[in-house]
Amino acid sequence: MRRLIENRFGLLALVLIALGAVYGGAFVSRPAPVKPATAQPVKAAIESVSAVCPDPGGATVSAVTPPGPRGSGQAQVLDGDKPATLSEAGKLWQKTAGKDADPIRVVATGAMAAGLEAARISRTLDGDGRGLSGVRCVEPGASAWFVGPGPASADLTLHLSNVEAAPADVSFEVYAGEGLVVAERSTGMVLKPGQHRTVKLRDVTTSPLVMGLHVITSRGRVTAAVEAVLGRGKGADWLPQAGEPATTVVVPGVPGSAGQRRLYLTVPGEQDTVVQVKAVLKDGSYALKNREEISVPAGSTTTMDLSTGIGGQPAALVLTSPVPIVAGLELTGTGTLQDVAFLAGAPSLDLGSVVADGRAGKNQTSRLVLSAPFGAAAVQVQLLPKSGALPAPSEVEIPAGRTREIKLTGDPKGFSVVVTPRPGSGPVYGGRVIEEKTSSGQLVTAQPLQMARTWALVPPTVDSPRTVLP
Amino acid sequence: MQTPVHSVTAIVVAHDGARWLGETLSAVLGQTYRLDRVVGVDNGSRDDSAKLLTQAFGPAAVVSMPRSTGFAEAVHDVMRRLPPAPHGTEWIWLLHDDCAPDPRALEALLWAAGQDDKAVILGPKLRDWLDRKLLLEIGVTVARSGRRETGLEPREYDQGQHDHETGGIRDVLSVSTAGMLIRRDVWDELSGLDPKLPLFRDDLDFCWRARAAGYRVLNVTEAMAYHAEASSRRRRRIAASDDHPRRLARRYALFVIMINLPFPAMLWSMLRNTFGSMIRTFLFLVAKQPAHALDEIVALGSVLAHPGKLRRARKARRRNRKQGYQLVKPLFTPPIAALRRIADMVRGQLAGAGPMDSAGRHHAVASSPEEEGDELLNDDGSLLRRVFGNPGVLLVLLLTAVTVAAFWRLPTGGLLGGGALVPVAGGASDLWDLYLTGNQAPYVAVLAALSTIFFGKIWLAVAVLLLGCVPLAGFSAYAATRRLIPYAPGRVWLAASYALLPVATGVVAAGRLGSAVVIVLLPVYASLATRVLADGGRPARRAAWGLGLLLTVGTAFVPLLYGFVFVLGALAALSFGGVRRGVGVSLAISLAVPILLLFPWLAGFAADPARVLREAGLPLPADPRLPAEALLTLNPGGPGAPPLWTTAGLLAVALGALLLRRHQLIVAVGWGVAISGVLVATVVSRLSVWPGVPLAFAATGLLVSTALAAHRVAEFRAAGGWRRFAALLVSVVAFATPLAAAGLWIRTGAGGPLSWNVRDPLPALAAAKSTAGEGTLVLRPSGGALAYTVLHGRSPLVGESDGAVTDPAVTAAVAGLASGRGGKDAQELAARGVTFVTVPAPVDPALQRSLDSEPALTRLSLSKTAGLWRMVIPVAPPAPPPPLDAFERGWLWAQGALVVLVLILAAPGARQPEPEVQLEEQVAGERVLV
Repeated sequence: MRRLIENRFGLLALVLIALGAVYGGAFVSRPAPVKPATAQPVKAAIESVSAVCPDPGGATVSAVTPPGPRGSGQAQVLDGDKPATLSEAGKLWQKTAGKDADPIRVVATGAMAAGLEAARISRTLDGDGRGLSGVRCVEPGASAWFVGPGPASADLTLHLSNVEAAPADVSFEVYAGEGLVVAERSTGMVLKPGQHRTVKLRDVTTSPLVMGLHVITSRGRVTAAVEAVLGRGKGADWLPQAGEPATTVVVPGVPGSAGQRRLYLTVPGEQDTVVQVKAVLKDGSYALKNREEISVPAGSTTTMDLSTGIGGQPAALVLTSPVPIVAGLELTGTGTLQDVAFLAGAPSLDLGSVVADGRAGKNQTSRLVLSAPFGAAAVQVQLLPKSGALPAPSEVEIPAGRTREIKLTGDPKGFSVVVTPRPGSGPVYGGRVIEEKTSSGQLVTAQPLQMARTWALVPPTVDSPRTVLP
Repeated sequence: MQTPVHSVTAIVVAHDGARWLGETLSAVLGQTYRLDRVVGVDNGSRDDSAKLLTQAFGPAAVVSMPRSTGFAEAVHDVMRRLPPAPHGTEWIWLLHDDCAPDPRALEALLWAAGQDDKAVILGPKLRDWLDRKLLLEIGVTVARSGRRETGLEPREYDQGQHDHETGGIRDVLSVSTAGMLIRRDVWDELSGLDPKLPLFRDDLDFCWRARAAGYRVLNVTEAMAYHAEASSRRRRRIAASDDHPRRLARRYALFVIMINLPFPAMLWSMLRNTFGSMIRTFLFLVAKQPAHALDEIVALGSVLAHPGKLRRARKARRRNRKQGYQLVKPLFTPPIAALRRIADMVRGQLAGAGPMDSAGRHHAVASSPEEEGDELLNDDGSLLRRVFGNPGVLLVLLLTAVTVAAFWRLPTGGLLGGGALVPVAGGASDLWDLYLTGNQAPYVAVLAALSTIFFGKIWLAVAVLLLGCVPLAGFSAYAATRRLIPYAPGRVWLAASYALLPVATGVVAAGRLGSAVVIVLLPVYASLATRVLADGGRPARRAAWGLGLLLTVGTAFVPLLYGFVFVLGALAALSFGGVRRGVGVSLAISLAVPILLLFPWLAGFAADPARVLREAGLPLPADPRLPAEALLTLNPGGPGAPPLWTTAGLLAVALGALLLRRHQLIVAVGWGVAISGVLVATVVSRLSVWPGVPLAFAATGLLVSTALAAHRVAEFRAAGGWRRFAALLVSVVAFATPLAAAGLWIRTGAGGPLSWNVRDPLPALAAAKSTAGEGTLVLRPSGGALAYTVLHGRSPLVGESDGAVTDPAVTAAVAGLASGRGGKDAQELAARGVTFVTVPAPVDPALQRSLDSEPALTRLSLSKTAGLWRMVIPVAPPAPPPPLDAFERGWLWAQGALVVLVLILAAPGARQPEPEVQLEEQVAGERVLV
């Protein structure tokens, strides 16, 4: 060994051999590339739901918990002093509230909370508010968007409730056709815990013809709902909450009946944009002729009549824009006296959806309008009657880029609908429309389907001190 | 020329001085100026002193005194018996038995005395007895600390350099009693030397009084005497007192200062000397000179403990003290001298001499200068030129410039953090508090100590260690290899290549503080290890303790280091154990110290061996698919690593150096370390651990074995011809690696995950509003999952997360909370003290919705930087951390004490024992012992 080391080339040879061996070892031991496994969120049943049905006076309040895995739990409708308890899951609970009732609160915990859905629908046959007016009972939130006619073209009432334990500071932003309206009285409203309040939007802001309304709480949470009364012979309805601003917005649930269709678009950002409009119809998706694009200035709301494009056929609108937008749609019924209904951008029903009330009778028809704009979809539709046995569920397949309209035939006293996408289905968007034929003209109300409060996606969590670093 | 008006009486006091007395007496008798009378005093000598005196002066002129008589007392006794001279001015000439005056000494003194009536005390220039050219004194003065100052350099040779100032007559504060010429009337007026000062400083006290009375004290350089300084150098035993001369000297120094100063000045001096003595005592202890320390503190104590003595002595000196102070004051050592001395001391320490100049009274005999690098000996020219002419300093400056250029584009404005580094917040006291809560990684204590040095700022300590990693590594590599590689350009290349290794830049980019510390320390380990193996005796043992301590520091940051060093140490013990005595023990010390100091923490590794692979800071896994060629080119991969070809030049030169047949054994060992380093790097890399530290080991081995042959390049260049060209080529290839690395580093910038722009994870509102450690839950989506951590009332400190234990219940509750499913998750968290929930930007809309929909939470704010929610339900106050049990507290104390002990054992000791001690022992054996 010593001689080898002291030889001029011996040491070099030794080192080269050793280096070669190390290289070989490192080369052989190099593991094959592994694809990083991304952790998938897990579905977990929602265990607590709290929703508020605004202005229930004279309206029918429906509440239902879809059948599902059983466990302990309780769902209650807090109506004044006498709370009613929902007897069992899968049974529709309905009640018509007395005049001038306070907002009704629906709370549920445990198994009865999973999928709890509630809505209020009122039917008025004369006066300014003539029409079918319905809205989903909403859960408290820190931000809510509404898009529709402005205070100049409708009598708009904002219903706010704070059912939380903490006070809420509420402010509004109004995006009119000319841009963001700055109004002194639009900030600094404080709702104490348990307080309800109605606000006439005409009193707190200027009176634009069209409006995007953003209700924000800087502290606490409120439930917000907007009732729009267009005036005598023009109809009335509630504005559904539109989704948060997004670059792709789907407005689903346009029924196949005749009448005017008017699109409202709000661009809340600071950048003008051009919105691409595509209609997803029964026989495919098209860019609407002459209305392929709408340009909207930054911070403003604009409107466009789409009656000639999608009138008379069930449809969904897919709106894409480089900057986030909020969208809504106004439907007008036919007849001498008109009624309106409103739709808005809604999420896909990945985890299913529940509609609290449907009507089917001699004059009333309920329809489900389902669209699959981005890929073929298959859903199961299950009706939940007010009483009696569950009818067999029906399977509905929607080809990619198409819309299907399903007429719901069920218990005339009322029923609920559960829509569940089949595994592997593409994203589905939908809406539920109720129409009633009267002698003076058609009454209509609509509701975009929201994700059911059945499941929550529980992300995989990991305790990591690295969290402190971006 | 003789002036007959003078009558001189010489008094020679002898005490066991036969060794010198013969020469002294013949010198006294051989004066060119005739002495009128001579008197000999024998203080009970046990040798031939009395006989010699009698032979020289006759029995009538010799007085015998008891053995314990002091010098002053002996002179007083003679003066009492001595009748006044019949004519002329009467003078007394005091001589020690070990002080031989030059034949013309007395003549010169009297001539000087004749020039001025006020000149009443005169002394000769004193030179060394043995080395007769060596200057001892030309008059002395005193510093306010009591230090006796001669104003001469240590070992200054007399070349007449002081003889021409003021015509060879120097006004001084005091002259030594050896050869002191005193006018008798002044002696009587001032009552002479104080017998209460039997030894040391009696001269100073007497001359001070004379000065205060308005007389002049002169040193006459024409007159010369040769002085052996037998008492103070311990060449003979002192009989006047049992104490060590050093302690006596110190005691009387303080005493004389305090009795002669006016009252306010005395108070100030007392205060100052008390503090000064304490500091000196501490420094002596640190310098491992406990005897000095004891003398110092006892001397002070004995002065302060006898106020009566002090008062009596002051009373006796009351007359001229206040008025005369103005005359004495200008003769004191100027304060600047103390500063100069401190500067000298620091310089001496840096040059490897002892830390304390222990000789207070007489000249320091400079220890033989250690073998120093050529650049340190090159001490001509100004300090500036010396510093900037040093290639090491230039290298560090250059590396610093490269570092600054590389960091130029590092985004700033926030906290320093990223990669493995927690955003650095808080101060040193926070770190100490954290460490003292127990069960913390020991590097927290190291960092706390460093932060304390850096003005209590953790960020500064971390920035210096981490961002300064490259220059620091260059400096340590350059300085540590001084002994091993004497050829400076070779060392510059080694240090530059080492500092700019891919590992070093990778460490900075990924914020790996632990690896940065190890990279800086690694050359020091190598240097200390060579000392342990190659030196013998005390230096080797000190190096062993030092190595143990630094190894502890490195292990605390990177536990893997210990395993590597342990294997190398075991191999070294096997191969060197038999070669030199004590090597085995020294190695065992080095390897045992880390185990001892880190014991409970290291014991925890038994339960979880994988922790050995983790280093200080946040876990930052590396790619297990590091290519084999990256490992072979010492490239650890990950952020901050340059392309593989950067180190090609280094490898080529290293392989080429194998062909030169020099230091074959060291070269083989170096390559052995390099290859085993790469091997370990391969293994840990496949375990998804960053292989920086093993690769740094490998690089050290490679660089040392290559740089050893560097001087051959110079030889080649000198040889001319094709060899010159080859030398040039090799130099170019060798320097290509550091130059390319520096260039690439500057071009790509030093950032990576590391940034100086990290936002504090804890929103200010939460920090301000959470009381007593209430928790803030931080949520951040990462790679499909949701990462969370709970902070307690403040931003996390470096090292705080290392000991954290995951609570599965919290993990489940956080998942539930983030899903927005409602339920009891928020209550679960509130029961564990979580008051706030924060999501740093960008806030995921789904997560925001979930938190917004949680009834137990209310949103406080949602801004561009973060969202913050607060619990509205009652939050259980978090449990205070359990108090330390007796063992844990005891261990912390013991750990501190052990660190101090090892520090003292490792610190460079005082200078080597002086040869005089040996001499004294000889004398003691031969003569003094009865």
